[in-house]
Formats: sequence, C-alpha cells, structure tokens
Amino acid sequence: MEVLKELTTTIENEYVKQAWVNGQKIVGYACLATPREVLDAAGIFPYRIKALGRGDTGMADAYLSRFNCGFCRACLQLGLDGSYNFLDGIIETNGCDHLRGMFENWQYAVPSPFFHYIRVPHLVDQDSLQWFKEEIELLIAALSEHFAVDIDDQKLKAAIDMQDQIAAVMKQIYESRWGSGIKIHGHEIMALMVAEGSMPAADYLQMLETFRGEIEARRTLDCRARLFMGGAATDEIDLIAELEALGGLMVADSFCFGGRIFLREAAATEPVRRLSEIYLNNLLCPRMFMSYSGRKNYISNLVARSKADGAVLFHNKFCDLHGIENVKLKMDLEKEGLPVLLLEKEYGAGADIGRMKTRVQAFLEQLKR
Amino acid sequence: MDNRTGLKKTYSAGLFSRVHALFSILKKLPNHISEEELDGLIKVLPEDSANSMKSLLKPAIQQASMPFLHMLSAALDETAAAKEQGRKVVLAPFNFPPEIIHAFDNLVPITTEVLTTLGVVSLEGQGERYWEQAMGLGLPDHLCSANTIDLGSMLSGMDFEPDAIISGCVGSCDVNSKTHEFVSLLLGLPQIALEKPPDNSERGFNYFKNNYIKMIGELEELAGEKLKEEKLRLVAEKVNRCTELYHDLWELKKQVPCPVPGIFSLFVCATRFAMWGRDEGIHTLEACLKVSRQNYESADYKSREERARVLWIYLSYYYDLVKFYDWMEEKNISNMGDALQWAFPEPLDLTSKETILDGMIRSAWNNVMTRQMGAASMSQRWIEDIVYIIREWGVNGTIYCGHHSCKQTWSVFSVTRNEVLKRTGVPTLGLQGDSWIRSMTPMSVIQEEVEQFVNNVINKSNRRRRRRSTG
Repeated sequence: MEVLKELTTTIENEYVKQAWVNGQKIVGYACLATPREVLDAAGIFPYRIKALGRGDTGMADAYLSRFNCGFCRACLQLGLDGSYNFLDGIIETNGCDHLRGMFENWQYAVPSPFFHYIRVPHLVDQDSLQWFKEEIELLIAALSEHFAVDIDDQKLKAAIDMQDQIAAVMKQIYESRWGSGIKIHGHEIMALMVAEGSMPAADYLQMLETFRGEIEARRTLDCRARLFMGGAATDEIDLIAELEALGGLMVADSFCFGGRIFLREAAATEPVRRLSEIYLNNLLCPRMFMSYSGRKNYISNLVARSKADGAVLFHNKFCDLHGIENVKLKMDLEKEGLPVLLLEKEYGAGADIGRMKTRVQAFLEQLKR
Repeated sequence: MDNRTGLKKTYSAGLFSRVHALFSILKKLPNHISEEELDGLIKVLPEDSANSMKSLLKPAIQQASMPFLHMLSAALDETAAAKEQGRKVVLAPFNFPPEIIHAFDNLVPITTEVLTTLGVVSLEGQGERYWEQAMGLGLPDHLCSANTIDLGSMLSGMDFEPDAIISGCVGSCDVNSKTHEFVSLLLGLPQIALEKPPDNSERGFNYFKNNYIKMIGELEELAGEKLKEEKLRLVAEKVNRCTELYHDLWELKKQVPCPVPGIFSLFVCATRFAMWGRDEGIHTLEACLKVSRQNYESADYKSREERARVLWIYLSYYYDLVKFYDWMEEKNISNMGDALQWAFPEPLDLTSKETILDGMIRSAWNNVMTRQMGAASMSQRWIEDIVYIIREWGVNGTIYCGHHSCKQTWSVFSVTRNEVLKRTGVPTLGLQGDSWIRSMTPMSVIQEEVEQFVNNVINKSNRRRRRRSTG
C-alpha cells in the first residue's frame, strides 16, 4: 500500500498537510498511555511522535545525553530540527525517565504554545484509576481552554466507539497470522501500528478495512520459524523487516508500537472513567509496578495462541525498564519451554544490523529451523 | 547454584556477611586510637579496607568517625539478629526515610545503597564481584551500581535476605525501582511500591500521602503489629533532634573557610538513610557538629586558604575516600558535599499521631531525589535547589559526577548546567564515571579534571570578578 509507505517514512505526511490546509489543530503525544480519544473528540488531530528509524541525534545530544535512550534522542532531534514544527501542541507523559527528559528538553529548546503534562500512575488500583480519570479531566479542561473547543460526553463516546471499531478490525488482521498460513509480515503489522498515530481515526479505519480485504488474495509466506518479538519502545519497521528476511516471521509482539495499541478492556460506561480504565488497566509496559505477572501472562498467552517457536526481546541501550524486565521474562519463558534471545540495540543504528542479523540467524539455528 | 535465580555460587560469602564481619571488629575499637595504633590497624587490613580506614579514622575527624562506625555497626547487628529475635527486615532504597520502620518494634530497616557503599568502602575487591554476579544473569551494564552491587550479592543466595522490599523510587528513578522489583520477583519477596506522582501540588501530595498510608497498612501486616503512637512519638522526638543537628551543620557550612569536613556529607546522608530518629544517628550528628565547631573556632583552621567551594550537584564518588575527600582537603578545596544531603527536613509536629505522620510523609515527599527527580519538572526543582544552596553556602563551582546510570539527571543535565550558570554565574563541570565502581573512571582522572576546573575556571573567574570590582 503506497499510503502506508508514505505514512511510515514521512513525518509530515499528506494527512498532516491536509489538516493544515483545513485549519485543523495537530497535537503531538508520544506514549501509549495518552488517551487519543480526547483529542479526537476535540476535533484535534492526534499525532504520535516517532522517529521512523532515523538514527541521527547530533543536535539532541546537546540536550539529552549519550546515556539516554536513542529513540528519545532521535525524536528530540526531529523536534529540534523543525520536523515537528507542524504541531500546535504537545502532551507530555511520564512514560519513563528518558521520555520525561525528552519532553523537558523539547519544551526548553522549542517551546510549544500548548504543553500539557498527563501524570500517568505506575500502579493500577482504584485510587490510581481515579487519579488518572482526574488527569483526563484536566486534559479536557486544558484543551477546551487553549483551543476553544467543546468536548462533551457524546463526542467522547463517539471517539471511544471509533477506537473500539479500529481495535476490532486490527485484532482480526493481527490474529490472521495465527492460523496455518501466514500472509502478512510482522513488519507490515508494525507499519500499520505506526500509521495509527499518523492519521485521523476515520481514515485509519478505512485503510485497515481495505488492508483486511486484501489479505485473503495474498499468497502464503515462507516461514522458517514463528517468532514472538517484544521489548523496546521502537518504530523501526526496517529493522523488523531485515530480521524477518532471515526467515523468522514475527507472529505476535508486545511493542508499544505494536499489538498493545489495541488492548481496550474496560468495564466502566461513563466515558472519562472508561478511558481511565482502557489506558491504565491495559498499559502492559514495564514502567508499571506490581503487575509483572500480568505482563508475563499476556506474553505467554500470545506465544501460545500464535504458536511462536521462540521469542526475541529487544531493549534500546540504556533503557533500564526493558533491559531488566527482559531478563526476568527470559527466565520465565524459558521455564515454559520457549527459547528466548535477548538483543540490546541502538535505535536506528544501521551499522549495527549485521550483528543483529548474525544473532537472529544463530537463534533460528538454535530453534532447529 | 541458587534454585530461584539460577546463579552459580562463585564465592563463599555475600556482601552483607563480609561487611558485618568487618564491622564486628571495628566496633570493638576504643573511642580514640593514636596515629601509631591506626598505622598498626592499617597494616593488618587488606589494602582496599585499609585505604578507607586511613581516611575515616584520621585524627582530625576521629571524634566523629567513631560514633559513625558504631552507628553503622548497630544497623548491621540489628539486621543480622532480626530473624533470631523474630523481627522482619525491610530493605528500602536511600530515598525512603527509615524512621517509619524504626517506629515498629518488629521491623528493622536496611538501606540498599548504604550496604553497597559499605561494601565498596570496606571490602577487599570493593563491590566488583557482586556487580559481576548480577551481570552474569544477563542484566544490562547500564544499571545503577548503587543498587546492583548489594542486590547482586543477595541474588547469589549466599547472603542475608530481607523479608520485604520497598520500592521507594517509583516515579523518581526507573532503574532503582526496577532493580528492586527484579530482586523481589526473583527471590519471591513481598514488594511494597511507594509511588510519587510528578505533581508538586497538594493534589499530588495527597495522592502520595494516601499511598504512604496504604504502605503503613502493609508494614503493619508484615510486622504483625499496629503502629503505636507511643513508639512513633519516641522516634519522632529523635527525628526532630536529628533535624536540628542537620540544620546546625547546614548553618556552619556558610562559614569561610568551610569548617565542616567534606566527608561529613557522607556521614550525614548515611545517618539520614539508615538511622534517622535513633540515638546512634543523633550521636553521629552531634559528633560531626562538635568537630566542625572546633574547626570553626580553631585559629589554624580559620587561617586555612580556601581555593574553591565546590558543590557536587548530584552524587559524589564513593570508592576512594582518601583520593576523593582527603585529596580535596589537601588541595584547599572545600567539598560542600553532594545532593544526597538535600533532604530539607522540617521539625515534626508532635501534637498527635496524625500530625507526626503527616510530617513524616512530607519528609518522604521532600527527601533526596524524590524531591528533585520526582517533581513535576526534573530540571526545575533540581535547578532551584542548586541555586538556593549556591547562594546559601557561597559555592563558586559545581560538579556533576555523571554517574552512568542516572538517566533522569543525565537527561536534564544540559538544561540544569545552563540555567545554574545563567542564574548564579557559577560554572558546572560535567564528569563521567561510576560512583561505586573504580574501574570505570580512575580517581586520578577525576582529580585531574577537578584540579583543572578549580585552576582554570573557578579561580580565573574569581580573579576576573575581583578585577572588575576593583575597577
């Protein structure tokens, strides 16, 4: 799909340009914990900040340090070099120490006219759900005031319904790999996930439906091994493509630019409370505490359902959250009989691809595939 | 092989047991030892331990270091004896104030970073073998050595194990909280997570307070006892005495030359992290104050040239006391200490159990690192504190040690350095190294950089300022 190609290689894509022409406001966010429905309900274009595999960090390194995650540095670089000048505002979240630093430096160096901080709890219980609900209400108030928009329950419900529909279609596409013949590469799924934060919801749903329609006609792919991949915050579609070219196809993942995007279980019906549950209950990120078993079980379940032969867990150099969690996951998944490869990587480092390929090739051989 | 962690046992004793064994001997030392006796002691100790004792027990500060060693020894003894006495040991990171644990009869607090530092300071081979042990599990090399050294020892299955772990850094340091979580999961220990939201408002405080109250409930369950007002009050009274002494030392630091020896910052923070609200903590701080006052009144000390007043804006280096604290002193550089002292404690209101608890919660909210890195803006609160202290103590140069693992401070260091310079005119030297692992950056390199900074930046800008003021 040509449109998908453009969305996953261009920051300022056609939808962004169209929004500008139409006078629509665009607000950037980076973390999966950001309830994009609030922006949708406000008529604002939510754009997920990403770097699309660009590894240049020269300017960003003058702010963040070399001891910070390459993905955050790469995003900051694009903020500093003007690639994100189309944003009318930025929403910060306390995803991790690196991300907090990225936002602080961005706002320091290139102040955005609208800058709002959503304080996402690290625990899930009734108190934190209430706190997060209030955070969403504060976001609604801030957007309403700054952009002079009206966000009511009806609009929020419509936005939530739209995202539920998207999740349902995405789930079908995602799980279509779990049968006998795989017709979609894992990197294509990742491309779809990355595109999710680059275009308006209605257009995205339409694109997904078109994509779903095209799958059936595709031929079955050669598959040397079925791989689960997870870990690092990354949108490096090319990296996954390169690794899949070795024959191991990604059949499920736990990336935050991946399958976790469409986890939406919630019980509440009142829209803001429902958003609080959708985004906090389903935040299966290692930044959350007292919930390791939930994350591990989620992966074990995906591995079983996708019939994965092995798992490759990545972490960006200097990411402690994934770096530590991956070690525990490896121990636990191996106890369940699943071979696991841990890979530390630099974000967007093309020069490192040879090493990564060698490791994955060796892993495929270990899987006897 | 430890069944839970899969780690092969490659040595015979863990960090805690070795440190405790050494302190069992040190606590037997008389309150005063002569230089000759110190020489004798140093000769029988292994090189790494001897090096630290040379610095800790030197005559000029011995009056304070003896109570300090006794305080640490008491903390280690209590931890070691806890199981026999039917008490539970609670391990917590440095930013978790221990006084609440001291208020339980059945609980004993011990601090990860204090144990690591004791290991690095007093053991032959420092903490290296335990770090390597943790790396052997596949953990990344960018973890914090302050946590990983002690926890690595625990993971070996050959060391003491606490009965519960408090993750007190949730919201202010990812690596610290995640490492503690990892150990609790691997060893199957109960974990209590105390989250601090990055929100400086009363709403943020109330959320934190609610978390803290829930934590007390979990501690009560662990201890098998309710938190008693009487015991809490007793601890609170001693907390207030510690706070008073802390502020007295703070005031003395304003004097030129600074009469408070640099190494006392280590004594103060160890007291804050482990024995705040205990008699042993009070004795240590009283002794530090006594020595500092004697210095202040001594003609010799007053006539000392002070080339620079240097503040370490986050961590210091803790692996070589002689080449760090003593060397700076020899060079007439006043070491004003590091951010680990910036707890800004306030006296507790002793009116009722509620007011005492409210004060303790505020103390935890304002404790080191939590206060700065757990703030709404990491850089803003950090900058404000640095600027305040520069003005309070007349600091003329600041240094960021660049501990590799401090991703949060590293991420806002550039902004911080720029703003500190802009607001105060005081320059900041940015170093790189590991505060607890000597092999990362040799102390000689650090000395060279500090020396150049003092000679070429601080002293030159002082000279320029003087020239400008005299026309």
